[in-house]
Amino acid sequence: MADYKLHTAHLYGDLMNTYGDFGNIVALRYYAHQIGVEVDEKIISLGDDFDPTIYDFVLFGGGQDYEQMIVADDLPDKAPALKQYIETDGPFLGVCGGFQLLGQYFLLADGTRVNGIGTLSHYTLNQPDNRFIGNITIHDEVNDLEYHGFENHQGRTFLGDDERPLGKVVKGNGNNGEDGGEGLVYRNVYGTYFHGPILTRNGNLALHILQLALERRYPDVDWQDKIAAITPEFF
Amino acid sequence: MSLKSGLATLVGKGTYAVLHDVLHRGGTSLPGKLATKIDPNVMQSYAEKYDVILITGTNGKTLTTTLTTRVLREKYADVITNPSGSNMMQGITGTMLTSKVTDKQRRPVALLEVDEANVEAVAKQLKPKAFVLTNIFRDQMDRYGEIYTTYEKILKGIRLFPEATVIANADSPIFMRGNLPNPKVYYGFNHVPATGDMKAPHNTDGVLSPTDHSILHYHFMTFGNQGDYFSVTDDFKRPALDYAVTKLNKLTPISSNFDIDGKTFQIEIGGMYNIYNALAAYAVGRFMGVSADQIQQAFSSNAQIFGRQEAVKVDDKEVTIVLIKNPVGANQVIDMMKTDDQPFSMIALLNANYADGIDTSWIWDADFESLHDTGIQAVATGGERYKDLYVRLKMANFGDHPVYQDLKQIVPAIKTLPTKRVYILATYTAMLQLRAELKQQGYIHTGMGE
Ligand SMILES: [Zn+2]
Repeated sequence: MADYKLHTAHLYGDLMNTYGDFGNIVALRYYAHQIGVEVDEKIISLGDDFDPTIYDFVLFGGGQDYEQMIVADDLPDKAPALKQYIETDGPFLGVCGGFQLLGQYFLLADGTRVNGIGTLSHYTLNQPDNRFIGNITIHDEVNDLEYHGFENHQGRTFLGDDERPLGKVVKGNGNNGEDGGEGLVYRNVYGTYFHGPILTRNGNLALHILQLALERRYPDVDWQDKIAAITPEFF
Repeated sequence: MSLKSGLATLVGKGTYAVLHDVLHRGGTSLPGKLATKIDPNVMQSYAEKYDVILITGTNGKTLTTTLTTRVLREKYADVITNPSGSNMMQGITGTMLTSKVTDKQRRPVALLEVDEANVEAVAKQLKPKAFVLTNIFRDQMDRYGEIYTTYEKILKGIRLFPEATVIANADSPIFMRGNLPNPKVYYGFNHVPATGDMKAPHNTDGVLSPTDHSILHYHFMTFGNQGDYFSVTDDFKRPALDYAVTKLNKLTPISSNFDIDGKTFQIEIGGMYNIYNALAAYAVGRFMGVSADQIQQAFSSNAQIFGRQEAVKVDDKEVTIVLIKNPVGANQVIDMMKTDDQPFSMIALLNANYADGIDTSWIWDADFESLHDTGIQAVATGGERYKDLYVRLKMANFGDHPVYQDLKQIVPAIKTLPTKRVYILATYTAMLQLRAELKQQGYIHTGMGE
């Protein structure tokens, strides 16, 4: 019955999937199936081309420091295509390391500086001998929604002027433990430190991103009503 | 032994005697604590007396230790070993202090399961003859960080003793890192021809070549990132094996029959991961001069193996309780359920206390989807984090299903399931709670390994 299809790219999915990030695609697919939309997945890894016109959703997950450095070396080749995708309002979810690597640079625990793709303006500092670990709750003030998750990060991220946080921290640490913000929103790009994985626990956000992807790929269909009929999971 | 060590030993032994004989508690941690307080180097006197073998890794060290103990006892009268919960410095000190040697002719063996982060401290004191490395999978990342960090901690201990033999799982590529000068014994699988060319599934950790960081290929894989790996960009590949599983004969959820170097062995426990544990025990046994015949004998002795799984009868139901704690382990349990030729039900229980791991996101890397092709008839979820698992199974297309937040509901729920076979997957504290319920209702009589 699937008349519609969404193509998702899992960036470095074979190297950067350390915290169940794949669950985000599972969630998207679960909701999409309910309205007759197929969701496929392709891993784009070291040395692969990223074609910005093919994909409807990009997931860039978190990884270990070592894998993250290998990925950072490969990213400059893909940076122009990723920038094109983002600037043409492609839906994008960056989690933890994937969130950091979209920005200017980040510092590893030992102080090593690793450059991101530089498409977005945020940057990430380290915090020696400390990690932000635990359950986190934030409030998305634009959509008046609460999101639940689990954060586990050493990096402290600071957003640029053209970015806004995904939510305000209600409980937990968020981007840097200082400014009360968690995650980022820029065009249709979402960044977060939630390992949760964020879309499995926060169905409203999953449905919002699903709608963005469908409206961008199939602008002639009225997706609003179809999506409103889905019951989102939230816990 | 110095006067201080002598006193420390005396206090340690005395405390153990009081705990053990008067209070009937098997505790090894308190005596270790007291003795260490008096003399932090109290264990060093044991290094001279024992052949010390340390077993470490994130998964499988308890069962490997159990099986290896059994193997070594075929040859050695005195094999002392620590209870699985006592794998940190204090527990090990307690084990050493309370050990007794009966055979004065042959050097006794201390076979110790050691927590990854305690390898350096324990090795420093006990000067091991060998280090046994089982595997390193992503586990409780909130504790130690990353698999490479965990391995670094182990390496720190090994580097102190370049003469010690490293007995390592060669199927796990991470153990090829570190350029260790030590003598090595490698074990692994050679059960299928090395003709394939594949990459690991996408939720696999540790698939980068240590030489040039390219993604490893495999001739075949067993599970996780383990298998016969090779690089396509240079000549890095799995080293030659000293001991290998050469054939898998019959695998069921409760037994495994397989060949090592052409000879058939059987262990009364299911799961591929337990064959790795048996293979490690075999490698250590051969290293210590135990013959293949004696090892075969040791494996087939009737004593029940308490691994991560336990069989319990609940009225007419055959219940198997299995501990789960990370995606690689959970996927192995899922694979084990697939070897059942009877219809079965599954109850999955998730807690998120410190001992369980407080981050539950790994459940999304466990391949519950693959259970659709099996004899599975019913599913249920429970535990303090029942909602996480409920949604996990729902998104794996198992639909709406019963949830039991309170584990007191589990025993009655088992009785209503449609199948005779029941698998209960539980994280550590959920398993303890469930066992307490089963004990109270008279379905089990002893603790695990008590
Ligand atoms: Zn993270």
